[in-house]
Amino acid sequence: MSTRIVSIAPAFEDVMPKEYKELVENGPYGKDYKVTDLGKYKELIEEHPLCAGCGLALSLRLVLGSLPSPEDTVIVGSTGCSALVFPQVGLHNVHSLFGNQNAVASGIKRALSLRFPDQVKDVVVVAGDGATADIGLDMVMQSWFRREKIATIMLDNEAYANTGGQESGMSMEGTVMNMAPKGKVFPKADLPKVAEAAGCAYVAAASPSRPGKLGKVVRRAILIAREVGPTYVQLLSPCPTNFKTKPSDTVVTIKAREKEKRFKQYEYISDDARSFLSALEDGKRSEGKQPEGKQS
Amino acid sequence: MLQQQVRSPDYLFFEAEKKKHFLSGSEAVREAIRKANVDVAISYPITPQSESMHLVGDLFAEGYVKEYFRGENEFAVMSSVSGAAMAGVRVFTATGGPGTMRAFEMFPVWAGSRLPIVCAFLTRGINSPLTIQPDTIEMAFLLETGMLMLHAETAQDLHDMLLKAFIVAEKTEVHLPVGVFADGFFVTHTKEILQIPDADSKLPPYDPHCAPVPPMDMESVPVRQMRDPFVMKSNFISYAAHASWQQEIEAAQERSRKHLERYLGGLVETEHEDAEVLLITSGTAVSQSREAMRLCRQEGLSVGLVKIKSIRPFPSDELRRLAAGKYAVIVPELNRVGWLAKELKARVDDPRRVIGAPRVFGGMTMPAHLIVDEIRRVLQ
Amino acid sequence: MTEKMSIRMSGLGGQGVVTAAHILGMAAYKDDLQVTVNPFFGAEKRLAPAESYVRIAQEPIYERGEILYPSLIMVFHPHVITMGKSYTMPFFDGLEAGGTIIINSASALDLSEEERDNLAKLDAQVHYVPASEVAMGVSGTHLSTNIAMLGALYRIQQRPSLDALESAMVERFGGSKFVASGSTAALDDAVKEKFAKVSQMIEKNLEVIEKAGESMFQQTH
Repeated sequence: MSTRIVSIAPAFEDVMPKEYKELVENGPYGKDYKVTDLGKYKELIEEHPLCAGCGLALSLRLVLGSLPSPEDTVIVGSTGCSALVFPQVGLHNVHSLFGNQNAVASGIKRALSLRFPDQVKDVVVVAGDGATADIGLDMVMQSWFRREKIATIMLDNEAYANTGGQESGMSMEGTVMNMAPKGKVFPKADLPKVAEAAGCAYVAAASPSRPGKLGKVVRRAILIAREVGPTYVQLLSPCPTNFKTKPSDTVVTIKAREKEKRFKQYEYISDDARSFLSALEDGKRSEGKQPEGKQS
Repeated sequence: MLQQQVRSPDYLFFEAEKKKHFLSGSEAVREAIRKANVDVAISYPITPQSESMHLVGDLFAEGYVKEYFRGENEFAVMSSVSGAAMAGVRVFTATGGPGTMRAFEMFPVWAGSRLPIVCAFLTRGINSPLTIQPDTIEMAFLLETGMLMLHAETAQDLHDMLLKAFIVAEKTEVHLPVGVFADGFFVTHTKEILQIPDADSKLPPYDPHCAPVPPMDMESVPVRQMRDPFVMKSNFISYAAHASWQQEIEAAQERSRKHLERYLGGLVETEHEDAEVLLITSGTAVSQSREAMRLCRQEGLSVGLVKIKSIRPFPSDELRRLAAGKYAVIVPELNRVGWLAKELKARVDDPRRVIGAPRVFGGMTMPAHLIVDEIRRVLQ
Repeated sequence: MTEKMSIRMSGLGGQGVVTAAHILGMAAYKDDLQVTVNPFFGAEKRLAPAESYVRIAQEPIYERGEILYPSLIMVFHPHVITMGKSYTMPFFDGLEAGGTIIINSASALDLSEEERDNLAKLDAQVHYVPASEVAMGVSGTHLSTNIAMLGALYRIQQRPSLDALESAMVERFGGSKFVASGSTAALDDAVKEKFAKVSQMIEKNLEVIEKAGESMFQQTH
């Protein structure tokens, strides 16, 4: 998108909301901001209705702060807590139904490739663990089988949080939750391994406890999806409301999990993705800069 | 691939020279899509629809369709075509019977998101017990999904309605999905004679900026836009937004009437409408009714026929007028529930005159004699 | 022709019952007749009952689907009758009075007395043709049994014309225009391999049509 599109016609300047003006004057479109730049510019996310201390909110803010080309990124979400945020985000975003996010994204990506063959259009799926690992797993995996060039980001709060705290396929074994009244009887699904086997060019597990790392894997995932193939990122994003932890302790919770070896950062890079990345990160191609022909 | 020239819809529908072909319904789908300038088509196998989408796949291989793939199930396919349509291209898909049911959650989303998707529903019975045979019961489920519904009687109808569906669907004031229905096997697998224009002409491409809502392509102001109005917040404005949106879909359906009237030559077609007994139906039940009418009129019985071409919008005024003062209105249907008879009864002045029979279902052929028997019974 | 032909073809999956109907329908179309063709709608399976229907007329044809009251019945395999491998029982169910039946068998079938009585009451014209034997003898494959059946039909009806039948076969086996369903297409490949060349195949098929016509015999009730 041309950044001119967001600019305000002079006649409307006095009636436009303040946050929009800020987005025009000091937003991330066409810039190359990273996680470390947060606080220096008007972020894409404008308030949100999630709970205090929500791990998802934290992850989302970092994800949105790591997009390599926000001005050409379409987000596909799914039903769940994160979907409540997207109406307040300065990007085109789609909420279709519960679980069909990767199928919708496949259609969007193919259509945009037809309409804008010489322009980058990143299609990024951002959905919860229920949407990704349970109800939508077939469509998530099939999009990987088909090698759709989309990045899939799971915000993993290990539960159906928006519907009142039910057990999900990503809940830890033994967790007592709604619909698992005697405790979950099978282990947390190992989706990163599934993603690897299903053909993802890049797979990572990270968390907002290490913002820099989170930013890096999200960027890599989107850039690799653009050029190489499907990518998957899983972000542990605890839910203080349903797991009854202190809102201020969300990061502490993640760090404790890491210490107990019940969560670990993870990265898998396919050979193709690796050579693409080294070309990119060695400076042969400047990461986040738009490739030739992209400017519209 | 033939060199194709973009021609106006009016040229293709009304002016182009038509040539005779001997084709199956599935081949008629192919010939329509060949001229429809489709960007993305997504398929999934289910009998009796599969052959149509094989042939659309051939069109992709030949270059007539720009993008094509087999999705993973009908729900995913309907999701993927919705994504493609949202991103601003012309899409086509097809399904039928159990496939329709598998995909169902997406259909109201299509309408709610104002997506001009054209889908061929090549109908079949719904389990259980398992059947692959023709039956129009799935149409009963789709009546209130917000999509426009056209019902083809023949392969000729199927071809013509598909092409016209794109143009009506994409009118700014309509911009809704259109389901073109044809009875599985009785149309899809039947070879018959058609008159169609040559494939050296095609429809103009879809213009995503004709949409009443912006395409999801990050080429317009991005702030707080969703194609599916996400109004889950509990406040009065969100209730009002949802309520008015539903009414707007209904209004958009209403606004399609004038276009359908023009392109289809009316939402209904009549023969001997002054007769004492009217057969009113849609799809291939019309073909069987034609034969029944022919047999009855040979015997001197006063029988006429009304073919309903558009189920949504429903030709309520036309049918109320046609049914007025009739001795009886007989509604033969290829399903158990008799959804068309119910629709009619809800709209005519004297619903007692509407007879929901004969009904044939589970895949059987409806013999014309069964309709003749019903006419005789009524006239006794 | 003045009368409408309503033809029901019954056979076993793999015998080309649907293909025969398509060729016949295409030939009628080429002769500028009104025509519709449709198969019985079942799962495609070898040796399972298979049926197809052809309506040919000069006036417009309205009715669709199965032909319940045929004027002509073609039985592609004796098992349709002797083992009840059919969707329609008995095999002559619904036959119009004075209608015609063509059965693929080298010898007359041992029909029950009841069947003979009913056929007599209908004044049915029962013809036999050793279609499989003719196919094997002329082209060295059972796969043209269906063509032999068409030969028998041609002998009786003399329509559609031989020219039209020939050009329908060219279109069916030689042209790329025809769309066969998945498994039928695979069978076509097998057929084509046997004959190597389509033209040779068409020639053989025309010979099959002729020979089949010559080897017919009638059974009286």
